[in-house]
Amino acid sequence: MATKQHLVIDPLARLEGDVRADVFVEDGHVVDVQVEAVMFRGFEIILRGKDPLAGLIVTPRVCGICGGSHLYKACQAIDTAWRTEVPPNAWHIRNIAQACETLQSVPRWYYAIFAIDFVNKNYAKSKLYDEVVKRWAPFVGTSYKIGLEISALPVKIYAMFGGQWPHSSFMVPGGVMCAPQLDHITRAYALLERYRTEWLEKVWLGCSVDRWLENKTWDDVLKWLDESESHRNSDCGLFIRFCLENGLDKYGAGVNAFLACGTYIDPEFYPVSTIEGRNQALQAPSGVVYNGKYYVFDQMNVREDITHSYFEGSSLLHPWEGETVPLDPDVAKKQGKYSWAKSPRYLIDGKPVPLEAGPLARQVVAGYEEAKSACNASGCIEHAIDPLFRNIVNKIGPSVMVRVLARMHEAVKYYKWVKAWLAKVNFDDDRFYKKPKELPEGKGYGGTEAARGALQDWIVIENGKIKNYQIVTPTAWNIGPKDSKGQMGPIEKAIVGAPIKNPEDPIEVAHVARSFDSCLVCTVHVYDKKRGKEIARYKLGTFK
Amino acid sequence: MATVLWLHGGACNGNTMSFLNAEYPSVCDLVTDFGIEILWHPSAGLEMGNQVQALLRDIVNEKIPLDIFVFEGTVVLGPNGTGRYNMFAGRPMKDWVYELAHVAKFVVAVGNCACQGNIPAVPPNPTESTGLQFHKTKKGGFLGENFVSRGGLPVINIPGCPAHYDWITQVLVALAVGRAGDIELDEYNRPLTFFKTFSQTGCTRVQFHEWKISAEEFGQGTRKGCLFYELGCRGPLTHAPCNRILWNGVSSKQRSGHPCIGCTEFAFPWFDLAPGTIFKTQKVAGVIPKEAVYESDKLTYMLHAVTARIAAPKWATEDMFVV
Repeated sequence: MATKQHLVIDPLARLEGDVRADVFVEDGHVVDVQVEAVMFRGFEIILRGKDPLAGLIVTPRVCGICGGSHLYKACQAIDTAWRTEVPPNAWHIRNIAQACETLQSVPRWYYAIFAIDFVNKNYAKSKLYDEVVKRWAPFVGTSYKIGLEISALPVKIYAMFGGQWPHSSFMVPGGVMCAPQLDHITRAYALLERYRTEWLEKVWLGCSVDRWLENKTWDDVLKWLDESESHRNSDCGLFIRFCLENGLDKYGAGVNAFLACGTYIDPEFYPVSTIEGRNQALQAPSGVVYNGKYYVFDQMNVREDITHSYFEGSSLLHPWEGETVPLDPDVAKKQGKYSWAKSPRYLIDGKPVPLEAGPLARQVVAGYEEAKSACNASGCIEHAIDPLFRNIVNKIGPSVMVRVLARMHEAVKYYKWVKAWLAKVNFDDDRFYKKPKELPEGKGYGGTEAARGALQDWIVIENGKIKNYQIVTPTAWNIGPKDSKGQMGPIEKAIVGAPIKNPEDPIEVAHVARSFDSCLVCTVHVYDKKRGKEIARYKLGTFK
Repeated sequence: MATVLWLHGGACNGNTMSFLNAEYPSVCDLVTDFGIEILWHPSAGLEMGNQVQALLRDIVNEKIPLDIFVFEGTVVLGPNGTGRYNMFAGRPMKDWVYELAHVAKFVVAVGNCACQGNIPAVPPNPTESTGLQFHKTKKGGFLGENFVSRGGLPVINIPGCPAHYDWITQVLVALAVGRAGDIELDEYNRPLTFFKTFSQTGCTRVQFHEWKISAEEFGQGTRKGCLFYELGCRGPLTHAPCNRILWNGVSSKQRSGHPCIGCTEFAFPWFDLAPGTIFKTQKVAGVIPKEAVYESDKLTYMLHAVTARIAAPKWATEDMFVV
């Protein structure tokens, strides 16, 4: 009989919020896991009865990390409820701002949150360890310092248009608050180029962005790696070599089914803000990939399962009908519930399935030509349809390594896109706002792609105030607990199977969880393990 | 040399994100140039699980001295005062906060949530959130009115939603280099050096304010005018240096046409986000701003406003912030 160990990791830190993971290990591999979000925040309850615009102030403050993305979709939710006509310039500015938030997030997340785990002593025997420590050690690593400091540049662009980052509310129904000046546009170019020359090309890629974008397959990436010392020794090269050396390409697959609600509206395809018209106008395409097949994304198929969440009941509701009635976790645990996260599901042929959200999801969806016909606007911007990650996932499967590479890849694409949108800001048609009629009744939906995945709001306005407000975050998609059918969400599924070399310091669990870049503060609503006591042979780390 | 422990309660991490934008000093500079030893930070700490629990116990047991305890986020007391809505390292966060605050030399509340409860504490306050030493404008909060840390100061409140990185780093440096005695606090325990002036101080729209010329609407309508009269700007009513110490080193809300929302004051979010209060100036008789910024009666205000408008120079009615 194999020895089964029960590890409690509390806190499983650097997930931007607090998580407790109960990990069951057998023969050096994880065989079961329960991930608990340990905090309730109640934002949806606070929003009820408030000004319809309250979401613009409140939702960015759900998450200081992707507040700009919260603002983008909160605004769109009201835009669609009021059927606003947003001038083209305003869309360009909204797109530029949100993409800059993601450009900030990529290096900041990689160095501050993710790569510092490679400094862990578990890897001391790696041939690459000295180099990894030299570059990626927190605060003092050579690349750490550059990466952290460079991450402040893209949000300077955000601040020029939005006044500040984080926590601006400058996107409003009908447009944006700002009326940019020429020097804002020119300075934005300068900041982007500095980002490219000082970090993206010099430190991360070791080549030009255009050379990197020639990679269309996993074989191309391997060829790129061997092509020059500059590629091999770049941070990207070192990352890939370290992952291959340490097996990070072999675990962390997850559900291998993906969701992108898409983002970056092209105003040419979106004269009036409507829910129905949104798909057609997306430059970063939406879509669902399930069993290797592409499905057109429809927000009407989103559900939230609360069977194992610390909320009253066990419903499976569309967010417009969504309820948020919190329970005392001690009471809820007796009903078998174990997390503050709800479990979003998507209906495929009427069947609710779990989907991964995030950069990998977006990049896999972007690998399907069908995405182009579902999202007309995506045909208009370069690399919107992009075969690289569909190929990588088909070839070697999803993993910690692949998920991280997808995120880093987006920095290259978004750098190009922000430049393209800056070129579109047109001072001859100098409109950034069209005052909307504030309708007292309506239903709205807003969706976008935060750095960490699909982020969506549903709003019901009645008598000039918010009747219901539901926020479905990428972290909920990824970290949500099992659903009524016992299906695990992406992170739990991805942790199962991970090798645990050192049960005293199970860094592999952290790699998997962090590769999703979960953000628990954002899980507006993640915790159990009833079986622990019976199964556990050892209990490591339960200080009471 | 100073040790810093930074924890998150009911937090959005916005203050951490703001802090990571820091320049002069950057966060790395704080560590390498100012001898600030970050014992642990939830977004940057290497340790997890047991290692964090062991560290926290060593601090509470005073095996490791704690110079500065930084807290971000609300203190969550729900449900029913148990604190179980926010568990951390095996117990309610509030219990850690209480013990750590009592062993730290200085306690710093970073951001509105830790200062006063902020948005999470807006009715119906579903998480029973409160600030470290204030609940909204009322003194008390979680640690109580009379709390003083070992270094002899109450909780140093750095408000804002979020707090500007510079306000945080300069206070940390001041504490680290032994200048705690120079930190003078106002009635809300905010450092006066940052919170004596108004958000309007240094605002590029202040000339329009003086001539009583209003911005017409958002977007191209903000190419001129002051945001106070129609769009709900709280710049003249809010103590903050947002237009002296620019955001991300480049701008401010008002400079980008965004009304100040008064986020460094302890009543934020104003009017509890009630319908009709967001980005709309609250008025008496449809014309006079309800929250007058002048020490005068309404008639005197009206006379002043009319006179100013008549006397306004031609440029004041033209676009100022042009392409």
